[in-house]
Amino acid sequence: MSQNVHDQLKSLALFLSEYATTLLASGVHTSRVVRNSSRIAASFGFQVFITMFQRTIILTIRTTDGDHSYSMVSAVKHLPISFEVNSDLSALSWEAYDNHLTLPELWEKFHQLMAKPHINQWLLLLLVSIGNAAFCRLFGGDLIACVGVCCATAIGFRLRQLLLKQHLNHYFVWFLSALAAALSVTPLVLLDWGATPEIAMATSVLYLVPGVPLINGIIDIIEGHVLAGVSRTINALLLIVCLSLGLLCALLLIGGNVL
Amino acid sequence: MTAEFIGELLADGFFAAIAAIGFSVISNPPRRSIAYCALLAAFGHATRFLLTNTLEVDIASASFLAAMLIGWLSLPFAYKVHCPTTTLYIPALLPMVPGMYAYKTIFAMMNFMQHINEDEIASLYMIDFFRNGMTAFTILFSLGVGAALPTLIMRRWAFTMTRKKV
Repeated sequence: MSQNVHDQLKSLALFLSEYATTLLASGVHTSRVVRNSSRIAASFGFQVFITMFQRTIILTIRTTDGDHSYSMVSAVKHLPISFEVNSDLSALSWEAYDNHLTLPELWEKFHQLMAKPHINQWLLLLLVSIGNAAFCRLFGGDLIACVGVCCATAIGFRLRQLLLKQHLNHYFVWFLSALAAALSVTPLVLLDWGATPEIAMATSVLYLVPGVPLINGIIDIIEGHVLAGVSRTINALLLIVCLSLGLLCALLLIGGNVL
Repeated sequence: MTAEFIGELLADGFFAAIAAIGFSVISNPPRRSIAYCALLAAFGHATRFLLTNTLEVDIASASFLAAMLIGWLSLPFAYKVHCPTTTLYIPALLPMVPGMYAYKTIFAMMNFMQHINEDEIASLYMIDFFRNGMTAFTILFSLGVGAALPTLIMRRWAFTMTRKKV
C-alpha cells in the first residue's frame, strides 16, 4: 500500500516540477505558479509546497494526513516569456481540478499545449517596429523621427532575434541590439533631419526595456514573495544597464552630448 | 477643454494602443486577448495623459490611477476571453513602464562618476540621478500595485477566469 502511494507521489511530483518550472520560465508571477500547482495536486488529494529561487525550485508533495511525502529539486528552464503558455496552463489546472484528469492525460495535454506554434518571426518584427514608432510619437517625436525609430527597431530587433537563436549571453545581446538600434538613427541626428532627432535617439532602444519581468517583480513583492520579486527586478535592471550602455556607446561614437 | 485637446487625447490613446500591441507580441500573448490589451492600454494611457495635463496630477499618482482603471477593466475582459487577468493588464501597462527614466538614471550615475571631484557639477548629476531614479521607481511601483489590487480585492472571482463555465 505505502509503496503504491509513494509511486503516485513521485510520478505527480515529476509532472508538477515540469509544470511549475515551465510556468516560471514563461514569465508567470510566483503566486500563480504556486496556486496552479496546488490545484492540480488537490485534484489527486495531495498537498504541494514549493520553494522558488531564480534558478531552481524545491517541491514537496505529500498526502493530506502527512504520512507520506516526496521532495525534489529541479532547475528552472530557459524559455521565452509567453502569456499564451500562462493562460493555457492555468486553464489546464482548472480542467484537472474539475474533471480529475489522470496523469497520462495531463502529460498528453501538457505536451499538446507546449507544441503550439509561436507567432511568425517576420510579423513579430513588423509589429514591434510599428509599436516602437508609435511609442516615439507618444514622446512627441515628429513623423521623420517615427519613421527613423521604426527602421532602427527593425534592425535592432532582427539582430536580437538572430543573436538569441545563437544562444549568446542575454546581456551581451541587449547591449549589441541597443547599439545597433541607436546607431541606425544617428543619420537623423548628424544630418539634423526633422525637428526632433533627439527624441528618435532616446526612444530607439525602448523596445528592449524588460517591462514584463519588472511588473512581475513588483507583483511578487506585494504578494509576499519578496525574494523572487527582488531577483526578477534585479535581472531586469541589469538588462536596462546593458541597453543604456549600448545607447551610450552610440552617443559617444557620434560625439554627441550625453544627455 | 478644447477640440484640439480632445484630438490630442484620442491620439494619445490610439498610439498607446499600437505601442501596446507592438510590445506585447514579444511576449507571445494568446491571439484572442491582443485586441483587449490594446483597448486597455488606450484607456490607461489616455487617462494618465488627461490627469497629468488637465488636473496637473504628478506622474506617479496619475500612473497609479491609470493602472487601477486597467486593473478593474481587466476583470470583465478576462472573464470574456478566459485568460488570467495578468495576461491582459501586464501588456496594457507596457507603454507606461518608465524605461526612459530608468536609463537616464544610469546615464546620470555615469556622468556623476566622470565629475566626482567637482562638487558643483557632481551635485547637479546627483539631483538628476535621484530625480530620474525616484520617478522610474515610483511609476513602476504604482503601475504594479495599481493594476494588481483589483485582482487581489476580487480574488475569489479573479482566480477562476480560466475555469470552464458550466
